[in-house]
Order: sequence, then C-alpha cells, then structure tokens
Amino acid sequence: MNYWGRRIAGALLVLGLVLALNFLLFRLMPGDPVASIVDPRFSPEAKEQLRRVYGLDKPLPVQFVLYVKSTLSFDFGISFLTGRPVMDELRSRVPNTAILLGTSLLLSAALGTWLGIKAALRRGSLLERCVLWSGALSFSFPSFFIQLLLLMLFASMIPIFPLRGTLSVPPPPGGAALLVDYLRHMALPVLSLVLLGFGGWAIYVRNLTVKILGEDFILMARARGLPRKNILRGHVFRTMLPPLLTIFLLSLPGIVSGAVITETVFSLHGVGRFLLEAVTGHDYPAAGAAFFLLSLLTVACNLLSDLLYGVADPRVRLERGNR
Amino acid sequence: MRDLRTRWSFWCLLLMVLTALFGGRLFDAPPEREVAAPFSKPLWIDRDLPPTKELRLTADAPSLRVDWRFAPPSRFSIRIDSSAGESGRFVEWRKPGALAPLRLAPLKAGFEADGRDIAFKRSLGLPPFGDASASLFSEQGEYELSLSGEGDFDGSVVVKLEGGRWGVLGTDQRGRDIAALFVAGVRVSLIVGIFATLLATFLGTSLGLASGYLGGWVDSILMRIVDLLLSIPLLPVLMALAALWGKGLWQLVLILSIFSWMGTARTVRALVLTLRDAPYIEGLRGLGAPSGYILRKHLLPETFPVLLATMTLGVPGAILSEAGLSFLGLSDPRVISWGRMLHEAHSFGAFTAGAWWMLLPPGLGIALLCLVFLDLGKFLEERVDPRLRKGVRP
Repeated sequence: MNYWGRRIAGALLVLGLVLALNFLLFRLMPGDPVASIVDPRFSPEAKEQLRRVYGLDKPLPVQFVLYVKSTLSFDFGISFLTGRPVMDELRSRVPNTAILLGTSLLLSAALGTWLGIKAALRRGSLLERCVLWSGALSFSFPSFFIQLLLLMLFASMIPIFPLRGTLSVPPPPGGAALLVDYLRHMALPVLSLVLLGFGGWAIYVRNLTVKILGEDFILMARARGLPRKNILRGHVFRTMLPPLLTIFLLSLPGIVSGAVITETVFSLHGVGRFLLEAVTGHDYPAAGAAFFLLSLLTVACNLLSDLLYGVADPRVRLERGNR
Repeated sequence: MRDLRTRWSFWCLLLMVLTALFGGRLFDAPPEREVAAPFSKPLWIDRDLPPTKELRLTADAPSLRVDWRFAPPSRFSIRIDSSAGESGRFVEWRKPGALAPLRLAPLKAGFEADGRDIAFKRSLGLPPFGDASASLFSEQGEYELSLSGEGDFDGSVVVKLEGGRWGVLGTDQRGRDIAALFVAGVRVSLIVGIFATLLATFLGTSLGLASGYLGGWVDSILMRIVDLLLSIPLLPVLMALAALWGKGLWQLVLILSIFSWMGTARTVRALVLTLRDAPYIEGLRGLGAPSGYILRKHLLPETFPVLLATMTLGVPGAILSEAGLSFLGLSDPRVISWGRMLHEAHSFGAFTAGAWWMLLPPGLGIALLCLVFLDLGKFLEERVDPRLRKGVRP
C-alpha cells in the first residue's frame, strides 16, 4: 500500500472505532434507554412497540449493523426531547460551528505565525517577551474564564457586543442588516478564540524559526547574498511548513472541544451546545449524532493534514510502515 | 532538592494545601449558608453602599438611633419575638427631621414581615411594587427605632437590614459568601488534580512498561489505542461519561484518568525502548532473570525521576478538565468547586447584575493553581535534566 492508501485506511479504522465507541457508550449505560420516554402507565404492548421503533428488540450485533448503516447515511433518528429528526436540528447548527472554528483557527494561525517569526528575528525584544507571556497565559488560564471575562467586560459593563445568541430575537429584517447582526454576535466568540489560540501557536513558530535560523543552509543562503525576504519565504517558511501542519493536526481535537465551551459561554446556536443540551437532557440519539459529527470532523481534518503533509514534505511518502 | 525552598510555587502550594485542610475554620458558617443579600459587593468596593446590619430592641434597650449615611439597604425585614399577645403597642420608625414617627408594625408575638410583602407595604401606605426599604431609608441622617406606649416588654424586635456589601469577596446569586465558597473550592481542585494524575500515571507507567518491554503485538495494539485516544475530541467523551456514570467527585477522577494516561505511556515506552537493549539488562537476561524482576527492579526505578516531572506537569490538565466539566454543569451540584462557581455565575445572572466579583476569585484560583504546578514541574524537570537549566549549555 502506498502512503495515501495507508493514511486513508488509518482514518477509516479510527472512524470505525469511533462508531463502535459511540454505539457502546450510548447502549451500555445503566438502565433502559426507552425508560426515559416511556410512562410507567404504558401498557406492555406499547412499550414493546416503542422498543421496536427504536430497534432495541434485536440482538446487539444486528443493532450495531443497523446503527452503522443509518449513521453513515446521516440518519440519526428522532430526538427524545423535541420529537423532531435529529438531522433537522443539526442542519441549522453545523454552519455556525464551522464558521466559528474555521475563522478563529485561520486568524490565530496567521497571527501566531507572523508574530512568531517576528519574535524569532528580534530575540530579546519586548515583542518576544510579550509573545512568550501570552503563550504561557493561554496554557494556564481556563479558556472559559477568559471568555467570561471578555463577555463581562464587552457585553455587560461596556455593552458593545450582545450578551448571548447567534442572532437577535427577533432577527432584523433584510439581508444586510441580518448579516451585520450575525457578525456582531460572532465577533466576540471568534475574537476570544483567536486571543486564546495565537499565543501557543506563536511560541511554537518562534522556537521552530530560531532552530531553523541556526541551520547551515540558512548561513549558506546568507553567504550567497540572497535577500532577507527570499530567505524567510523560500528557506525558513518552507522548512517550517510540514511541522506546522502537524501541530495543526494535533491541536484539532482540543479546538473541537473548545467549541462546546465557547458555544456555551456565548449561548451560540451550534453543534457543541447541542451536544451539551443532549447530554444533560439524556437525549441519546441527539448526543450520539453530535458526538459522531464532532469526531467525523476531527478524523476528516486529521486525514486532510496527513495528506497535505505528504504534499509538503515528499520524504514521508517514501517511508515504510506505520507512523 | 534543598532549593525547593527558594521557589515561590512551593510555598504557594503549601499555602493552598493548608487552606484546603483548615480553611473552613476561618468561617463561622458552612459555605452553603446564605449570609447576606444576593449579589452583595465586596466590603472594600463602593463605600456608599450600606453594610449588612441588625437592629435589635429588647427590654433593656426599648429604643435606638441609627446614623445612616448610605443608600437604602437592598433588603429589609422585621421579626418580633415576645411571649405577650396583642398589646395595642407599635414598633415605630422616625425619619431624620420628621415630627411624627411611622407605625412600622404592631407589637405582636410572632409578627414577621419582609420589605417585599405587599400586605406590609400596604399597611405602611406604600406602593405595592419595589422594596419598602427604599422609602423607609429615603434620606441620610439619624433614624430612630422605638416602641410606642408605656410598660414593660419581654422579648425582642429584630430589624435586619441586608446591605449591598458583604464580606471580603461579596456574595453570589443566592447570598452565599464567596470567600467561603472559594476556600471550599481549593479542596476539590487539589483532590481531582492530584488523584486523577496519580491514577493516570499509574496506568500510563504500567502500559508503557508493558508496551516497551514486551514489544510485538502488545506494543502495536497499545500504541494504536494511544493514537486513537489522542485523535478523538476529549471533552465530548468526558461529557458523555460524566452524564452516564454519575457526577460524583471520584467518578470524575476515574473518568479523567482513563483519558489522560497516553502521554505518560509514550514517555515511559520511549525510555524503556532505549534501556531494553542496554548491556546490563541484556546481562540480567543472560543470567536468567525473569521479565517481572527486570521490570520491577531495574526498569521501573529508571523511570521515576522522569515520571515525577511529567506527573507534576500533568496536574494542570486534570484541574482544567475538571473545571471545564463543572463549568458545563456536569458536576455534582452539591459539591462546591471553582468550575461550579463559574457555572453558576454564568447561568444565574451574574452578567445582568454586573457581578464581576463572582468571576474573578474562582478563575484566578484555577489559573494560580495551574501556574504553581507548571512551575514545580519545570523545577523537577530541571533537576532530572540539568541541561534545561538557564545558562547551562549542553
């Protein structure tokens, strides 16, 4: 099997294990899943009927096959809480989460890379110290505390941004006004995620750059009289690209977890808060669906970064065996 | 180890541990007791706000004067304890400069009223909305609380004025003392952080030793599991488990440790891999030493110094995870923790009340505890590997 095949097989394996975990997590819990929606006054026939509707009368392996089949076709069943198909609930939430995470990730990566290179070029400067401190703070402060503080400052004490929600209630009429309203609601969450994310990124880039700047090929490039800009772009940044993709890959699970916290703090209409509401409300179909979607997102991004790594650093394609 | 005494984090941790053990004794009441009006500010903020006060009339002191230089109190209540029944006398309230006193309440055993009772406000001729204290304390100056008529009075009249200020750190949405809650929260963070990391280190060490020393299929299966656990989003799994298995403190410790042993396992495995083929281990094997003996007596002790550092550096992760889960409301509501305090601040109106004093103590507490463990871990790491020390070049 070549590099691409191995990576895709690995991702499929993880996906399979996630499916199994998801299935077991929500089946092996104490108590009968039907118990939460069945009134004790129901007749035994009605209970049996309900169990059949949810497919709980069949043996566990058959249930698993059915579960995998319906999950892979994005049919997550009916929510216990709202009585509507889970997919309908999710469809309106996925774009919000994707926009929140995508925008903040891109912004913090860009800002972090820029500041990190700047700091490495000016060792010992005030900028470098600021970068190191911002990184240390974002490692030790709980993300929700920083977000709560921002919310307190900029939504409660100085009301520039709205306190909660993705849109005002009722939403303003008209396309442009709606867009402005949406952006106003998303500004603080995205800003907080960038503020929390860029520090760690900048420290990593700074350390990489410092290491690369000490390499012989940089000295050689300098000796050849290449302009600074070319060295930075062609030699430093190009060498840094593969490890940057790796750290991107490793930070994804944490960022997805961050979506739950961020959406809870700012009461956003997204997948993360949906998961929280489903978990606290014992809404198993909904919780399973949200969990699967978040895992799918992680696995897909992992695979994408792996494939991009193969493009950026062709050497890894030749390596045999596992990672 | 002697220069441990020069590290600020060591003393800070000692202080925190002592607080967790004995801090409860600083307060007269248990932390869940409601002591003052909800959302009271800390005492040292805003000096125009009234402090919480209790006025008491007894047989010895049938009248008293209050010099009031603040805004009206946020809550007002009156209670009369007496063995006598109906007496035709009244509790009176004289405003500064007023000629005639106001009849506050009949002097009747068991009479109880609150500034928010509509019947009480109507008896005073006040509008039915708002708190009566606003009009009872409409001016600044000397007020007088007294009993009308003559005669002896056995019992007491207690007027409680709940101010907008209370204690060192103020109160929360239920009127509980934040300082007491803060001190109670140290314990939970320390217990979860330390025990979850200990358990995770135990798991990681045993699995890492097995994986590195045995190799073969054990190794590949264990490392696959590590890869899998590292690639699934952690928080959703923790949330699901916390909701399914129950919210107790020890369940949380167990759940956290099951999902945080991977780093230790990798470190130990890498260490064992480098040691496995060392001449002295090979010699032991040649002499016929059983695997268990080699692992226990030679490989395990080698990992201790590294483990001490990784363990200390792992504590902040557990503390932050616990705080995150509690913040999401997935912890036992009866257990006071810093994450729980932030959860309550977020969901019970601290933002509309502008109660920043509910946010800062728990948040800064979590951050401080994490910084302490990070600094200690860095210190231990430098002990283990002196090259990491400042100014020492390899």
